[in-house]
Amino acid sequence: MIRRLFSLILMLLLPLSACAGFTYDQLEKVTVSPAHLDGHFTQEKYLSALDASLVSTGVFSYQRGRSIRWETLEPIKNELLMTPESIINRQGGQELLQLETASNPVVKVLSEIFFAVLTADWAKLSGYFDLSGTLEGSQWTAELVPTDSAVRQVVTRVELKGDSLLREVVLHENGGNRTAIRFDSLSR
Amino acid sequence: MNSRPLSLKTAAAGWLLFVVAVTVLALRQGPSFDSSIMSLLPESTQQPLVQRAADLMAERFSKRLILLLSGVEELRLRGAVTRLSGSLAALPDVSRVIWRLEESEVEQYRTELYSYRYAVIDEGIRALLLAGDFQQVQQRALFQLYSPLSVGGGSIVEDPFGLFTELTLNRRSEFNVQVSDSLLKVSGTEQPTYMLMVELAADPFSPALQKRVLGAVEAEQAVLTDVGIKVDMSGMLLHAAAGAQQASGEISTIGLGSLLGIVVVMWLTFRQLSSLLLMLVPVVVGSITAAAITLLVFERVHLVTFAFGAGLVGVSIDYALHYLCEHRRSSSDGILVKIMPGLLLGLFSSVMAYAALALAPFPGLRQMATFSVVGLSAAWLTVVLWLPLLARGGPQQPLALAAHLDRLRAGFPFAEGNPLLVGGLLVSLLFSVYTLWSSKSLDDIRLLQTSPVDLLKQEQSVQRALGVSSSSQFFLIRGDSLEQCLQREERLTARLEGLKAAGMLEGYQALSQVLPSLRRQAENSALVQQLYEQQLPPYLAMLNVSDHLLSDAYLSLARTEGRRLTPEIWLQQRGSDSWKDLIVEQSEWSAATLVRLTGTIGPETRQHLIALSDSDSAAVYIDQVQNISELMGSYRGQIVNWVVVAYLCVMLVLGVRYKKQIWRILLPPLLASVVTLALLVTLEQGVNLFHLMALILVLGIGLDMGIFLMETRQAPYTWLAVSLSSYTSLLAFGLLALSDTPVLHHFGLTVLIGLTLVWLLTPIMRNKTKEKTLHG
Repeated sequence: MIRRLFSLILMLLLPLSACAGFTYDQLEKVTVSPAHLDGHFTQEKYLSALDASLVSTGVFSYQRGRSIRWETLEPIKNELLMTPESIINRQGGQELLQLETASNPVVKVLSEIFFAVLTADWAKLSGYFDLSGTLEGSQWTAELVPTDSAVRQVVTRVELKGDSLLREVVLHENGGNRTAIRFDSLSR
Repeated sequence: MNSRPLSLKTAAAGWLLFVVAVTVLALRQGPSFDSSIMSLLPESTQQPLVQRAADLMAERFSKRLILLLSGVEELRLRGAVTRLSGSLAALPDVSRVIWRLEESEVEQYRTELYSYRYAVIDEGIRALLLAGDFQQVQQRALFQLYSPLSVGGGSIVEDPFGLFTELTLNRRSEFNVQVSDSLLKVSGTEQPTYMLMVELAADPFSPALQKRVLGAVEAEQAVLTDVGIKVDMSGMLLHAAAGAQQASGEISTIGLGSLLGIVVVMWLTFRQLSSLLLMLVPVVVGSITAAAITLLVFERVHLVTFAFGAGLVGVSIDYALHYLCEHRRSSSDGILVKIMPGLLLGLFSSVMAYAALALAPFPGLRQMATFSVVGLSAAWLTVVLWLPLLARGGPQQPLALAAHLDRLRAGFPFAEGNPLLVGGLLVSLLFSVYTLWSSKSLDDIRLLQTSPVDLLKQEQSVQRALGVSSSSQFFLIRGDSLEQCLQREERLTARLEGLKAAGMLEGYQALSQVLPSLRRQAENSALVQQLYEQQLPPYLAMLNVSDHLLSDAYLSLARTEGRRLTPEIWLQQRGSDSWKDLIVEQSEWSAATLVRLTGTIGPETRQHLIALSDSDSAAVYIDQVQNISELMGSYRGQIVNWVVVAYLCVMLVLGVRYKKQIWRILLPPLLASVVTLALLVTLEQGVNLFHLMALILVLGIGLDMGIFLMETRQAPYTWLAVSLSSYTSLLAFGLLALSDTPVLHHFGLTVLIGLTLVWLLTPIMRNKTKEKTLHG
């Protein structure tokens, strides 16, 4: 009897915790935003025109609020250095091209979002997206739908998965392409 | 004898009718003032095309008002932007407010260029292709494909090398602004900041427009300040409003001050209300008629014209003074006959001097000349036609002040037969000439900058936030067609890029950056075809792409490769909106465009730009500020010539009447002018055009003084009259010397020194033998 009651309560509680408006505040509580983080990534880029995915792997590191170094090792060697002001493309230590984000609104928005996603800057993301999702223990999945028209031009939806740190991102682009990135061997 | 008063009455009535009619007409047109220094300066010396280009540049700046709203709370800020833009857009003076960008519009800007992606390509890509570095273009495309930030996400079939993505990424927007939730947010600022850009429908110099637009902003500002939102603005409108406010404030204070001073002294002199009113009537009629006719002839009246005109009060009061002073001694019938020669000569000398100004091809001077000639003539006519009717009756009591002044004058030494005094005057003259000889002039237009410091600071902070730096310098490109202009621009910009790379030039805006010439588009298209031939198969093979996709890509190239962005198509596009004003002229036979330079341009860069212009006959480098400063200098020289010519004419006429005695009239104002100039050079580090224009006034009043005194053989009443008129002018202008508006200050100081000297020198040159005493 007691067991049945207990499971009933559980059954009632479970969907509740899933439904009760998943908030940025909750994410803020369960996740941490380390000042420094590096790790390994696997990126899978699905191109609708080819109906195929381009897979690449590499390492990344970030300094919160300052820069993200994104180094693709396979199948090509390329290094992106993103700062809030610019995106620099380097190969073999040589600068190939540099983009000033301030001069281009689209790049600016996109790099801001990328920064915010990677560094768990939920306050920034709340300015661009509506949030929904579930939280089970320390595991969470979130779906971000852009509220900002400029963002909608580039990204239609963002899926995030993680615990105290972000483990997986899927960026759904306008036009059917999507980029899925998984992180592992993270170290602070 | 009976017919004369009757015809006088008819003439007086006719004159009244004319004054009323002109005033009514001017009032119906409505007053419109101008405070821009630029509008005082000549247009005709520049080629019409250059002038048009300069006007276009100026208009772009003058019709634009930029507002930046910043605050802590984003939501409130966005609400404020929406509200403010709403209230501004509702004004009739605003043609549009740019404050939001719909997503559909952003998309539209992109798609309208898409079909031309093979012909209109990014400069960086073009450089690589030209250098034959096709490999790198392919590499860049590959990186882009693997980048987590796949911006633009172009189709692998339609644009495998991401040419269009590169183009859209590198197209700079004019301002440091990003679209944030449809609003324009300034990037890189400490606090959230949003931008609003107002395009005015009319001239920013219209006082009514200034009042409505700034009124609407101020009304919002009052509310916004309470919630911690700051509004910063930049635009010609603000400078125009501040300039107009400052100048009109000063002119009205000074005008009121001088009027009060005049009234008090006249009251002390005449101690009679009727005399006082009689004296003011010609002055008022003169001023009103002058203002009305100037308004009707010229579209706008410049504030400097009014300042200059205010000084005419002192001159025009002369005529009434002489009449009234004479009235003290003779019956009203005989006065006119008696003083007519003096009045006529006085009017003639002044009108000659001012009319000479109108001959100079100088809009500002023409306006002042018109104002002065009309004002003086109207005052003169009023004295001659109305005063005989208004001031009737026999001779009146002598004036006590005349006797006082006469005694004061008796104390002045005579230059005649006084070698010591003559020697002293000669030495001061030589010393003055020496000072002038070694002086330099102040023709830099920037010294006449009148805007308040905090306004300039605000302007700078707005420009810094938006990442723009305006410059008045540009290249004018001429050709037979727009296509030719664009080709010539491309030749020029290649060399400008060199200066940019050397760090000498901050940047430039050229039409060919967004609309390449058709020749260049064909070149680009050929280069892209080469790129496809060399790099597409290995590139797509690397991505494991099927063969039919490869052929699809070729097909897509073949289909659109021939498309050209012609000027006609481009002009229809929305993206051309902010670039259109780079086209100065476009007709069947000729075209002209301008390449705008940005940032501050140092002397070294300037030399390079001039050299560029010299070596390329189709591109002319134009520096408006420098041009205007040079013009100020050349007109400074020309004005001296005009004045000399005018006074030679006056001298001829005076010579006929006064023969050898003419030096008594000419020397005091001339000597005073030279000494005044020398003093000004010492006090103000140099003289400019506006000092000289004030000197014309000194000469005019000085000559009048001499003529009247000569005509009445130094009569005490005349001495009283000319002293009073000097005093009134000194009041009107002495106060102007305190002005913060540089032009008015220059004016005031010159007249202050000059008139004082004339008043002191004239009695010294008086005739020793023929002197009349009050009771003699």
